[in-house]
Amino acid sequence: MKEIIAAYNEAIFDANRDRALKIIREAVDNGVAPEDIVFKVVVPALEVMMKGVSETRNVSLAQHFLAAQIAAEVTEDMVARFRKAPAVAGSVVIGTSQGDFHGLGKKIISGCLKALMIEVIDLGLNVPPERFVDEAVAHGAQVIAISSMMVHTALGENGCLKVRQILKQRGLEDKIKVIVGGAPYRHDPNLYKVVRADAWAEDAITAGKVIAGLIKGVRK
Amino acid sequence: MISGMDRLVAAAKGETSDRVPVFCNLIDQGAKELGMTIEEYYSNGEYVAEAQLRMREKYGYDNLWGLFYVGKEAELMGCGKIIFATDGPPNVGQMILKSYDDIDRLVVPQDISSHPAFQEPLKCLNILKKEAGGKYPVCAYVTASMTLPAILMGMEKWMELLLTGPAAVRDELLEKCSDFFKKEITAYRNAGADVIIYANAFGSTDFVPMRMFQELSLPWMERDLKPVGTDGVVYYCGGARMNAVLGQVIERLGLGTYYLSPFDDIAEGKKIIGGRGLTCGVINDIRLIDWSKEEIRSEVKRMMDAGKPGRKFLFGTLVMPYVIPEENIRAMLEAAYEFGGLGGDDK
Ligand code: B12
Repeated sequence: MKEIIAAYNEAIFDANRDRALKIIREAVDNGVAPEDIVFKVVVPALEVMMKGVSETRNVSLAQHFLAAQIAAEVTEDMVARFRKAPAVAGSVVIGTSQGDFHGLGKKIISGCLKALMIEVIDLGLNVPPERFVDEAVAHGAQVIAISSMMVHTALGENGCLKVRQILKQRGLEDKIKVIVGGAPYRHDPNLYKVVRADAWAEDAITAGKVIAGLIKGVRK
Repeated sequence: MISGMDRLVAAAKGETSDRVPVFCNLIDQGAKELGMTIEEYYSNGEYVAEAQLRMREKYGYDNLWGLFYVGKEAELMGCGKIIFATDGPPNVGQMILKSYDDIDRLVVPQDISSHPAFQEPLKCLNILKKEAGGKYPVCAYVTASMTLPAILMGMEKWMELLLTGPAAVRDELLEKCSDFFKKEITAYRNAGADVIIYANAFGSTDFVPMRMFQELSLPWMERDLKPVGTDGVVYYCGGARMNAVLGQVIERLGLGTYYLSPFDDIAEGKKIIGGRGLTCGVINDIRLIDWSKEEIRSEVKRMMDAGKPGRKFLFGTLVMPYVIPEENIRAMLEAAYEFGGLGGDDK
């Protein structure tokens, strides 16, 4: 198992998708349980990767992106082979705020969430505030996640602030929590309070943890 | 009277002038200045030129911009849909490359100068040159071949192609983007741009691993720049960090100016550049939205203290958000003029 973990981590670090998938395939062929692949190999590898980003900041976005994508892909494949259907931790609707066409952050976050057994409903780009709330209600999601890459789409009147207002009007604030992320929030860690979000996260694995916490809070 | 150009030239040569040159990148703010919507503002090059001249006069900083918005480059490549906001920069609203076949079909315009989408920026540049040419450096913004695909196909698709797609398709696209780059920089130079911001987020190891930077980013930057020369070209990674690659970029490309990230250590960057070029220390301008005057002052002072020793230093902003209060813009600039002062004795 140790060797599998080390080899997989290295493939992820090298941003080598083919090698990573091959290692997983061989592990499965050699009888490693699909549950172990997800919880002992894939998820810890994501954590190692993201830790590198925040502590020494020498892991690039490209590695990040691939790690999340491979994790999502492998998890989906493994979950189908689980002996018992895994307990879904909760659901999240995700999208970019209205007027914002930057989709990369959302994609990375979604990949990580899937690996953490959190259901993701992807609303795409340029999502109006009403739609975030409507879809969250329709899917029984506990969390709305909004990605914004520019200041005006983060702070603007059709972004998170409006989502908050609608949640309040409809009395949904205890049932649905809001998390934000993207470049402006990384440049100013106080900004999430200005837009009245419940939380923010600077990278995808932190996002996974924070979102898992928000889901737990709602479910209590 | 010392002009912005005098300051910039002195800084580049490591000579002294009254103070460190200050590049303050007010772009969409021009609309507010003229009391227009942002969409109306960008419909006419005369508006942009007038507002650029007015804002420079009003605040006293050292540069002028011929940039409308980065999405212009997508328009030059055939994009027909730009989304205008009321309180921020316009964005590309449609990706012209939806499939690999589209890459094959993509045609780089023969001549940028006569392209319809270039006429308003051209008008703007002509006015800026006429009114302020030689006195204040006129800046243009041109995206590198490695980064341009982000606004032609979207960042996610580009990352996917770059990391897992067929190399031949990737290279065909890069070839076309590099061809476009060379034509675009030539058009801007012919129109009189003094400073060319060479924008390449993929020229930062925040974006790609070091090995990919060396095997792909560096060679493509060489292909962009070798044929057109590095005159007036500024290395800029879109706000991403560059200290880790500075040494290699200087050796391979020999550019004259490096526009750091707010998250790069200024003193360290200057040390690596080591007199081989001009270092631009860049403020985290998103914080200007809610920093107090005192916080702004102390941040500017910190940056000047780190960058001023040994001269060859420039102070700059990124793309200033529209919502920064005017008084905070002034607070930053006043602090920059004060702490950037070059007394006769601080060699
Ligand atoms: C690459 C880049 C570009 C490229 C490509 C952009 C594109 N995708 O279309 C180019 C050069 C074309 C470009 C152009 C522009 N850009 Co630009 N760009 C960048 C840069 C360097 C990175 C942005 C990016 O794509 N990051 C990818 C994401 C995935 O990375 P990330 O933020 O690190 O993501 C992590 C976290 O944020 C978090 N996260 C992300 N989303 C979410 C969501 C949730 C819910 C959570 C919890 C977490 C989370 O997790 C992610 C993974 O770990 C940033 C500066 C920077 N260093 O961030 C500027 C930046 C975003 N750009 C900026 C601007 C202004 C522009 C332009 C509007 C300029 C103009 N006036 O035209 C244009 C718009 C172009 C367009 N789309 O029409 C500004 C925005 C701030 C502002 N002033 O409003 C920035 C911040 C630079 C700056 N400080 O001036 N840009």
